[in-house]
Amino acid sequence: MTHDTVLVFSKTWGAVYLLVVFLLAALWIYWPSHKKTYDKAAQSPLTDEEIKR
Amino acid sequence: MTTFERIEISVIFVVTFAVFILGVAILGFGREIGYVFHGWLIAIVAGWGLMNLINRMNDKQPDIPHEYADTVIKWGVWATFIWGVIGFTIGDLLAWQLAIPSWNGDMSWSNFGRVRPMHTTAVIFGFGGNALMATSFYVVQRTSRARLASEVSPWFVFFGYNLFVLLAVTGYPMGITQSKEYAEPEWYADLVLTFAWVGYLWLYMRTLANRAEPHIYVANWYYMGFIVVIAMLHVVNNLSMPISIAYPKSYSLFAGVQDAMTQWWYGHNAVGFLLTAGFLGMMYYFLPKAVNRPIYSYRLSIIGFWGITFLYLWAGSHHLHYTALPDWVQYLGMTMSVILLVPSWGSVFNGILTINGAWDKVRTDPAVRFMMVAMLFYGLATFEGSFLAIRPVNTLSHYTDWTVGHVHAGALGWVAFISFGAMYKMVPWIWKREGTYSLRLEAWHFWLALSGTLIYVGAMWNSGITQALMWQTYDADGNFVYAFIDTVDAMRPYYFARAIGGLLYLIGACLGAYNIYMTVKGPAMAPAPDKHRPIMQPGE
Repeated sequence: MTHDTVLVFSKTWGAVYLLVVFLLAALWIYWPSHKKTYDKAAQSPLTDEEIKR
Repeated sequence: MTTFERIEISVIFVVTFAVFILGVAILGFGREIGYVFHGWLIAIVAGWGLMNLINRMNDKQPDIPHEYADTVIKWGVWATFIWGVIGFTIGDLLAWQLAIPSWNGDMSWSNFGRVRPMHTTAVIFGFGGNALMATSFYVVQRTSRARLASEVSPWFVFFGYNLFVLLAVTGYPMGITQSKEYAEPEWYADLVLTFAWVGYLWLYMRTLANRAEPHIYVANWYYMGFIVVIAMLHVVNNLSMPISIAYPKSYSLFAGVQDAMTQWWYGHNAVGFLLTAGFLGMMYYFLPKAVNRPIYSYRLSIIGFWGITFLYLWAGSHHLHYTALPDWVQYLGMTMSVILLVPSWGSVFNGILTINGAWDKVRTDPAVRFMMVAMLFYGLATFEGSFLAIRPVNTLSHYTDWTVGHVHAGALGWVAFISFGAMYKMVPWIWKREGTYSLRLEAWHFWLALSGTLIYVGAMWNSGITQALMWQTYDADGNFVYAFIDTVDAMRPYYFARAIGGLLYLIGACLGAYNIYMTVKGPAMAPAPDKHRPIMQPGE
C-alpha cells in the first residue's frame, strides 16, 4: 500500500463516505415524522426540571 | 450499596491506589526538586482520596438524597473562578513584560517560554475545563431528570482533573515540559488526566443511560463530543516513552513531520471540541433557559453538531501551511476549514435568533448580554479562522500577532463570555438565591470585559498586519527593507494597548469573582409561596 493508493482512496471513497453520512443524518433529522420529537425536546429545559431518578 | 456500586468504588480505589504508588515512586526515586515536589503532590492528593474512599466503603448504608448532586458543581464554580483569575493575571503580566521586556526579571523561571504555558494552561484547562465540567454536570442532571449516576466518581473526576492542572502549571516554571503546545505536561501528569477523563466519560454516559427523558437533549451531545474527542486527542498526542522514573523527561513516539501533524491534529481539535463544542453545549442549554425561549431551530443544532464533528477533525493541518507537510494535506486542511464556516455560522444564527422575542433581556440582564455578545464573537472568530486558514492569507498572517488576536477573540470574547453568562445564571440556581448579589457589578464586569477584549483584539490586528507587511517589504533588488528588530520596535504601542486591554479584562473578572462570592454569602431564597392561595381578581 503506497502513499498514492491511500491518497486516491481518501479522495474518492473517503469523500463519498462523508457526503453520504451527512446526507443520511440530514434526512433523518428533517424527516417529517421526527418533527414532534424535536419540538418536544426543544421545550425540555424550559420546564421545572423536577428530579425523577 | 448495590453490587454494581461496590464494583465501581473498588475500581476507583484500585486506580487511585495506582496513582498513589506513582506519586510515592516519583518522590522516592526522583532526582530533580520540581519532580519530587510533584511526587509529593500526587501522593498527598491520592492518599487523601484513598482515605475518603475507605470511609465510603465502610459506610454500609450510604445516604443518597433524592435531589440533584450540586455540591461537586459548587466546587467546580470556585475552581473556575480561581483558575480564571490566576490565568488572567499571569496573562496580563506577560503582556506587560512584552511591552517592557526588563520586567521579566531575567531569571530562568520567569522566562516567557516558561510563563506563557502557565497562562494558557490555567485559562484553557483551569478556567475553561472547570467551567465545562461544572456546567456539564448541571446540564446532564437537569435534562436527564436524574441525579449523577455515581456518588464517588464526580469527586474522583474533579480532584483528578484539578490535580492535573496544578501539576501542569507548577511544572512549567521549573522547566518540566514536553514542549508540545497546549499539551506541555509530562507523562505522569498525562496519566493522571487520562484516569480522570475516563472517569468523566464513564460518569457522563452512565448518567445519560439512567435518564428519565426519552430524548437526549442536544447540549449533552455537544458535551459528549467534547469528552470523547478530548480523550482521543490526549491519549494519541501524548504517546511517549519516559526515560526513567528518576526524571520527568520523556520522548514522543512521533518524530518529524508526523509529530507536527499529530500535534496540530491535537491542537486544533482542542480548539474545536474543548473551546467550541463544549461551550456550544453550554450555550444550547443556558441561553434558552436565560431567555425562557426554546432553541430557534432544534434541528439545526443537531445538523450543526454533526457538521462540526465531521469537519473539525480534518482542519488541523492549516497550522502547518508551507511546511514539510505534503501539499495535499495542507489543501485538505484549508478546504475543511473553509467549509467549517457553514455549521459555525449556523450555530451563531441559531443562538442569536433564539433571543428573538426576548431582546429586552439583553438590555436588562447582563448575563444574557454576555451570552449574546459571546455568539457575536464566536461568529467573528470562526469567520476569521476560516479566512486565516486559506493558504495565501496565511502567508500574511502566520507567525504574526494576528494569530494571537484571533485566538483571544475566541477565548476572551466567546469562551469566557459564554462561561460568565452561564455562571451568573447557574450560581443563583444551585445555591438557591434570588439572583446575583449585584446586577450593577455584573454590568460593570460586562463592559470592562467587552472593552478589554476590543482593545486587545484591535491592538493585535494592527500589530499583526504591521509585522506581516514589514517582514514582506523588499527593495528593488529584493533585499529586506526592515531588519527584524525594526518590526519589534514598531510593536511598542500595540503591546502597551494589549496590556491595558488585558488589565481591564482582569479587573472585570475580579469583580465577577467578588459578585459570585457575595451571591453565595447572601441570603437564600424564601421558600416557594403557597400555590393554593386564591387567584387574585383584576382590581383587587
